[in-house]
Amino acid sequence: MSIPLGLSLLAVWFCFSGHSFAQGQDDFARGLSEFRAGNYSAAERLFSDAEEASPGTTDALLYEGKCLIDLRNFPAAEKALRQYVARHLDSYDALYLLGFVLNRENRPSESLDLYTKAARLRTPTGDDLKIVGLDYVLLNDYADAVRWLEKSVELDSRNKEAWYYLGRAYYTQSRLPDASKAFQTVLKLAPNDSKAENNLGLIFESQAQPEAAAEAYRKAIAWQEQGEHPSEQPYLNLGNLLLEQDQMAEAAKTLETAVRLAPSNSLCRLKLGTAYLRAGNLNDARRELEKSVQLAPDDPAGHYQLGRLYKQMNQMKKAKEEFDQTAELQSRAASSKPQ
Amino acid sequence: MTFCQIARYLVGGGTGVLLCVLTFSFASQNNATATQSPSASTGQFVDITQQLGINFQYQASHTTRKYLPETMGAGVALFDYDNDGRLDIFFVNGAPLSDPTPKGTIPQKTGPKYWNRLFHQKTDGTFEDVTEKAGLQGAGYGMGVAVGDYDNDGYEDLYVTAYGGNKLYHNNGDGTFSDVTEKAGVGGSGWSTSAEWVDLDGDGYLDLVVLRYVDWDFDEVWCGEHKEGYRAYCHPDYFKAIRPLVYHNNGDGTFTEVAEKLGLAKPGKGLGLASADYDRDGHIDLFIANDSMAEFMYHNKGNGSFEEVGLPAGTAVDVDGRTYAGMGVDFADYNNDGWPDLVVTDLANQRYALYQNNGDGSFTYASMTTGISRMTLMHSGWGVRFLDFDNDGWKDLLIAQGHDLDTIELTSPGIHYREPLLLARNTGKEFVDVSANSGAVFQKAWVARGLAIGDLDNDGWVDAVVTTNDGPAYVLRNKFQSSNHWLTLKLVGHQSNRDGIGAEVKLVTAGGAQFVTVTTASSYLSASDKRAHFGLGKDEIAKEIQVRWPSGIVQTLKDIRANQILQVDERVAKPRW
Repeated sequence: MSIPLGLSLLAVWFCFSGHSFAQGQDDFARGLSEFRAGNYSAAERLFSDAEEASPGTTDALLYEGKCLIDLRNFPAAEKALRQYVARHLDSYDALYLLGFVLNRENRPSESLDLYTKAARLRTPTGDDLKIVGLDYVLLNDYADAVRWLEKSVELDSRNKEAWYYLGRAYYTQSRLPDASKAFQTVLKLAPNDSKAENNLGLIFESQAQPEAAAEAYRKAIAWQEQGEHPSEQPYLNLGNLLLEQDQMAEAAKTLETAVRLAPSNSLCRLKLGTAYLRAGNLNDARRELEKSVQLAPDDPAGHYQLGRLYKQMNQMKKAKEEFDQTAELQSRAASSKPQ
Repeated sequence: MTFCQIARYLVGGGTGVLLCVLTFSFASQNNATATQSPSASTGQFVDITQQLGINFQYQASHTTRKYLPETMGAGVALFDYDNDGRLDIFFVNGAPLSDPTPKGTIPQKTGPKYWNRLFHQKTDGTFEDVTEKAGLQGAGYGMGVAVGDYDNDGYEDLYVTAYGGNKLYHNNGDGTFSDVTEKAGVGGSGWSTSAEWVDLDGDGYLDLVVLRYVDWDFDEVWCGEHKEGYRAYCHPDYFKAIRPLVYHNNGDGTFTEVAEKLGLAKPGKGLGLASADYDRDGHIDLFIANDSMAEFMYHNKGNGSFEEVGLPAGTAVDVDGRTYAGMGVDFADYNNDGWPDLVVTDLANQRYALYQNNGDGSFTYASMTTGISRMTLMHSGWGVRFLDFDNDGWKDLLIAQGHDLDTIELTSPGIHYREPLLLARNTGKEFVDVSANSGAVFQKAWVARGLAIGDLDNDGWVDAVVTTNDGPAYVLRNKFQSSNHWLTLKLVGHQSNRDGIGAEVKLVTAGGAQFVTVTTASSYLSASDKRAHFGLGKDEIAKEIQVRWPSGIVQTLKDIRANQILQVDERVAKPRW
């Protein structure tokens, strides 16, 4: 008795299909395990395999998106999550995640659209509202940013990131006492948070309290030295403050550290070069200022300081070139504003 | 009497004979830096507007369209138009704007509410409104005012700037003025702001420099957020820069526009204008405060042309090399080293710029090291003048403040549209904010713009007048109590321009030397008392006064008694006027 060819093919298909389904389930389960263990690269591969083996039968795309977010691969995360959302229109989890990804991709309007859709399906958390607030920051709408960040900390008063961003938004609005309170709250939740302390320094500076500002920057520097990745920011701020106070030697020393931590930061180079220039250390000033201009060729401030340096070195032709370039860049910057 | 000084207004009684020693010599450099030890003190300014009979209200005509001129005005002048020895006050006013106003419109005044106003000071110190009698009602949407005796006839003339065309009013000497704009050829065009009378070529006739803000029209441009109540005045970056107008005085009542010829035609966004010979080469230089672009320093090359040197001189940008919203300016030697320094006001978060003259053609940004930075970071300043309010020999600072955006608190609640005035005392080492304890006027929040200074009651203590946008003007009497002495010099040129504008005065006391450049300009849109005022501290005698006239003549007076207003006539063999 012979089996008709059609039936045979069907059997083969069922066999393979069953295998793929099982494989997909298996990959997904293993992916979850890796994901929970924080092995995002491995998990991402497994979720990808699971989806390929058995498309649409698991939440692999959702978790792949989550992994890719943790791996900071936002374009790929967006792709995965959009595929998932297309099949799961009522997945608030995916919508919130996609909103987050679009925020990270600097697409705040689209992000806000997704948060609005997600909020219809599930009440947003404090963390969700934090991202909404950050979307408004990206839109340069600080009034609304503050509104949503305030709601965020209302919902979750222990969300230190939300408090930090709220502090930043207040600071941008020149609401210095409010900003100070927000950063103090961060410090209550996370003692020795160097970023918050650094921002308190900025507030003290704005409030014309340079001594308190310097103390805050120094504290931030001390605290962050216990961490793995010290930031150049408190060094830059302290160095700039010392520069303003004409304490050239200490300013240069502090800014040297900032440059060591962030050698590609043109502002650190500019400030260090300026400190050298004002201290009369012209050769070092030249090195730093030329590097700063190389890193940020469109920043008129760098060309201006370089022009001053060349003038001091009596290289008048080069000085004139730099001053001309400064004027050109200033003019370009002023005329590039949107109409 | 052409070359001797006359004590015209003796204060404190007595009619003692003044020593009058006139010599011709070039001033030697004096680097003394202090006249008196500073003592802790605060100001005492009192609002006496009502008592004086002043009731001026500036009409900005704010619309929902947020036309930029609405938030920028206006100026005030302190000058003695009838030569009775008492300062009079002229206020510039706006004009009605329809909402919307069609593109191309040149707004016009439609009635007394919008008139400019001249207030004459009577013998009892109160004022009377003489606008109609003087014929100074004006036209157009007014902005600024400049004072100078352009025809050297002994009477101060007025130049009033506006959006859409300016006016020159010749003082007829009988309490009336004539509009001579057309004959003089100085009507200009566009949006004019601050103007200054100054003799640019040393021919004895005052020339006229007129700043223009931006290339602007009544276009429908929405700035700020598209939300109810958030529409805002547009940033100047939205508009093109425009060159100033510079009128050479032909000496016959007519003028020729020469900005291009003189090298002064660089397009800017000029709001504030001041002059001084910053490198002491004998030729007056100009500084232009531009809004949100590089500030201009025009060096007078002495060959009939100017060169813009702001960047190499270090006065174009702030300490970080950034541009800022330059608005008001004053150009005076605050540290008594003989070299004129600069202060430029700007917007909140920018810090007012104080540039200390290094004496080698360059300046150092000194806001940080003098205390100016910390006291001004959160403020927005317009009219500004150095003035020695306590007569201690150090020039202090008085600043009119208030943001340009009436919506600023919606987006930046920590910055304020209405702000109190700022009084910064110069201790000889740094500036100290003494506003809080200097009188109730420093507790009042205004949208202040124009500021003129002058000794209204001739008591030796410099007073001030402040204008507010779409609000009243305020007359502030300096009631500082002190035994400090003072000396005020009224210069009369006889070869140089009659106002003595541009003359450099060096005054030496036991404590050291002070320097003043005679001007009616500086500040923002405003004109101040031309008389050179000096605080002498405890010194009752000025040992020496040297006047370097714009003509080049240097005149020296010896042992001049304090506490008087002294007329100093330029000594020339054959007076031209």
